[in-house]
Amino acid sequence: MLEILTIEFMRNTLLAGVLVALGLAPLSVYVVLRRIVFVGAAVAEISSAGVALAVLFQVEPFAVALVLTLLTFLGFSRAADSPRLPLEALIGMLYAGGSAAAVLLIVKAPRGEGEILNVLFGNILTVPQPLLWAMAATFAVVALLQFVASKEFLIAAYDPDMARALGISVNLWNTIFYVALGVAVAIAIRAVGALMTFTMLVAPGASALCFVRGLSGAFTIATVIGVVATVAGVFASFWLDFPTGPTIVAILAATFALSYGYAAMRGA
Amino acid sequence: MANELVSVRSVTVGYHGRAILRNLNFAIERGDFMGVMGPNGSGKTTLLKTLLGLLDPLEGTIEMRPANGVPLRIGYVTQRERLDAHFPLSALEVAIMGRFGMIRALRRPRREDNEIARGCLRRVGMENRAARPYRELSGGQQQRVLIARALAGEPDLLLLDEPTNGMDVEAERAIMELLLGLQQEKSTTIVFVTHLLSAIEHFARRVALITRDGTVVIGDKAAMLAPDNMARAYAATET
Repeated sequence: MLEILTIEFMRNTLLAGVLVALGLAPLSVYVVLRRIVFVGAAVAEISSAGVALAVLFQVEPFAVALVLTLLTFLGFSRAADSPRLPLEALIGMLYAGGSAAAVLLIVKAPRGEGEILNVLFGNILTVPQPLLWAMAATFAVVALLQFVASKEFLIAAYDPDMARALGISVNLWNTIFYVALGVAVAIAIRAVGALMTFTMLVAPGASALCFVRGLSGAFTIATVIGVVATVAGVFASFWLDFPTGPTIVAILAATFALSYGYAAMRGA
Repeated sequence: MANELVSVRSVTVGYHGRAILRNLNFAIERGDFMGVMGPNGSGKTTLLKTLLGLLDPLEGTIEMRPANGVPLRIGYVTQRERLDAHFPLSALEVAIMGRFGMIRALRRPRREDNEIARGCLRRVGMENRAARPYRELSGGQQQRVLIARALAGEPDLLLLDEPTNGMDVEAERAIMELLLGLQQEKSTTIVFVTHLLSAIEHFARRVALITRDGTVVIGDKAAMLAPDNMARAYAATET
């Protein structure tokens, strides 16, 4: 059963998946509660446009994707508090604009298609060792930030007026939250692709919120769901000869369906 | 003058440069129990947010007068409908937020903050529901938790936005009596905004009346509820 762990690239796959789960699953609670679930999808498109741009101009794709992702999230942090337009309109336009830009840039980039596909669908099986270290460091910082800034992140999201009345800067903490989210998403997309990143940014939090009674429990349960689904997905894909990323995504989707069904039966 | 907690001088309030209330001059006195009333859309909440510092006045000055050199602490009770029911927070988790302004950045609440928040829930009669999900409480119970949250910040001035909105008569009475009791217990200055005449009529001591021409008239309840003043705020424009 554990022969999978004797194969180096499968060990790396498992490690990459677990790191992404540890990094994104706790964030997914806020992503769901802040109603920004499609940010992940929009940012994936922006990221792929960034990669296409980088290929076109022959510069490092990840650097361009990271910069564009961070700029997008910084834009979200400013727009999150705007009374002019619902945030989802901005997310929708970024999704559409990012998709169009990616396609148009691919057309002009002679070697772009393969790299774009790698960003969009990722390949958890081929995560290089240096990227694993970068992921571990990045997600550790993001997790630590979430822990120490829990009260600021909570009140800025839950009751911005109250936060301001208490002298807590909502703009500052929204910016810090979105930058942390942006960095985590950028590195996760680079490692495991847009589909798994997007799902990990929604499913664990959405599943946990179906049955928890307190917020601190939601972070713990979301993280457990993310890690367990990832480990189960890696093993299942190995035994059943399925692609790993989509297997993890399918397990996360099934977990959400069960959680949602449980909540519905309970009348929550 | 010595008894003034907040002094509002020649203040114009509004959003994005558009004035809603003009040339306001009034004071909130220590120990006040003041109701701010006016028709829907008259600018009550805008005035409250300006007092809170959430909006800058377009003109004029608002002076907060600290007691014994300690900066004035303001407790804010938001409209409970504005809070997102998807957040799975217990009553205690909501109440402890009132302490967040007193805890340094990047520090988590300590046991002492927990105890103070629990004590505030006790003061509003909600201690036995501290662990219950906030979203599963009744409207009146949620309002009590929000009042406890504001009290947890140990405020000198408590500002409440429509504290009895959407409640039946009994629940409204219970909340207003609770506020009155809190005011008497510790002489906390309380200002509440409402569009409900009943809350003003039965409980406020002083009344700030927002008139149709965008000014604020302040006085004793009896004077403010006189027909001529009511007409300044509520009478329909003759055509």
